[in-house]
Amino acid sequence: MKRLSFIFIFFISLNLISGQEIDNDLLEIKKRMDSIKSFNANIELDVDISFINMPTKYGKVRYKQGESTKVTSDDFIMLPKRGLDLTLTEIFRHPFITVNRGEEYHKGVLCKVINIIPTSSKSNFAIATLFMDTKAKRIVKSEISTKTEGVFTTYLGYQNYMDALPAAIEVQFAVNGVKIPLRFLGKETEVDRKVIKQEGSKTGKIFLRLSEVQFVK
Amino acid sequence: MISLIRSEIYKIRKQSKTLYALAAILIIEGFVIVSAYYQGAGIIDLLLANLKDSFEFKGNLLNGNLIIYLILNSLWFHIPLILMIIISGFLTSEYKDRTLETVMLQPVGKLNFILSKYVVSIVFTLLIVLLLAVSTFLVSYWIFGRGDLVVYLDGLNFFKSDEAFYRLIYAFVSGANSMIFFSVVSLTLAVILKDATKTWIVSAIFLICSNLLLKIDFQNEFLNELFFSKLTDSWQYFFYYKIPYSTIYFKNFMLFGYTLITMIIGIIIFKRRDIQV
Repeated sequence: MKRLSFIFIFFISLNLISGQEIDNDLLEIKKRMDSIKSFNANIELDVDISFINMPTKYGKVRYKQGESTKVTSDDFIMLPKRGLDLTLTEIFRHPFITVNRGEEYHKGVLCKVINIIPTSSKSNFAIATLFMDTKAKRIVKSEISTKTEGVFTTYLGYQNYMDALPAAIEVQFAVNGVKIPLRFLGKETEVDRKVIKQEGSKTGKIFLRLSEVQFVK
Repeated sequence: MISLIRSEIYKIRKQSKTLYALAAILIIEGFVIVSAYYQGAGIIDLLLANLKDSFEFKGNLLNGNLIIYLILNSLWFHIPLILMIIISGFLTSEYKDRTLETVMLQPVGKLNFILSKYVVSIVFTLLIVLLLAVSTFLVSYWIFGRGDLVVYLDGLNFFKSDEAFYRLIYAFVSGANSMIFFSVVSLTLAVILKDATKTWIVSAIFLICSNLLLKIDFQNEFLNELFFSKLTDSWQYFFYYKIPYSTIYFKNFMLFGYTLITMIIGIIIFKRRDIQV
């Protein structure tokens, strides 16, 4: 009987969800982002992962509507697989529904929180949570649970109230330690297998700073 | 003394073993470059495998700086082994060919003779390391180009190309000091053992033990810091993200002291011993 009532409630909920439309504030933000046809900017990149020591890297970021964001650099750079989708193109690529989760403060700003649930199996994320500053019409935080690449949490910082593009982006994600081929080890390097096993995954962070943003019409 | 050194340099130039040494160095270099060319991408993939879930990589890590670093790692064993074999031969061949007796019949002091051997051995070692460094930099940059260097030492350390360049140069300079130590040890062993084969075997054992002892924790701070085998790795410290300069200076200074002591022991033994083949 309990199982039957669970199935009943599940289908009722599913029916209610499928009846929901896409959040209007999200559509407003998307419309604002879509007004950006193309931009170029300088990018500064820092990595904060316990087992990686990397100097600040510099490069250039180029965005053109309809294409994925391209980052180029003379140096070797590591870019997060998520967090650079500033125009929400990836989220809007496949159909989805939104669920309103109420309001929450983020860094002193009252934000509307919504869940995005893809309705297509082609989508490469399972669920996303967006924190929207509805007054400034922009996203300030997102949590994207991907199907295969883990959870990415992105914090977006803006220089002023009017900006549509963030000046600072922080992407957090879970990352496992490195596997090291023995021949690559230095003599001083000691591998403590027990410690490596115990460590499991760690939180990594990438900080990106955009500067000299030039919008191309 | 100067004429003795000139004479030793002349002998080295004329000896075929010098060419063998140079060939061996270039063959090692060639092997590393060829294996890196075919397998290097695989090594990098394996190294960064766990990061691929979260990151996209832009740029090429299989570049000249990585190849130079891989060749630099031959300073652990291959280069000192070749140097020890060749340099011990500078003296053992004199015993074997009985030229030592002939030289000693001339108005040549034993001290000056053995000292010139040590001086020439050190110069030869420096030239070999220089040859290795110059050829490695030229060939690696020519074939693989320049780029950021990644090294696993207390984590994954990434160095920008320019920074990697000077770190690699400093490592070769510091490594030369370690090579001088092994060269001087091999010549001292040649003084003691006289016979070429015995000297080669003991030199090889010395090098193997030295490498093994480097990894062993003596549970004693004094031994861990001052024992000779713990001092031969100073060049590796240039690949820590923050270079521990004081440790590098200390290790090099102490190793230079060991080199001098080993040389003095060799000179004393040679001076006291009758020249008999």
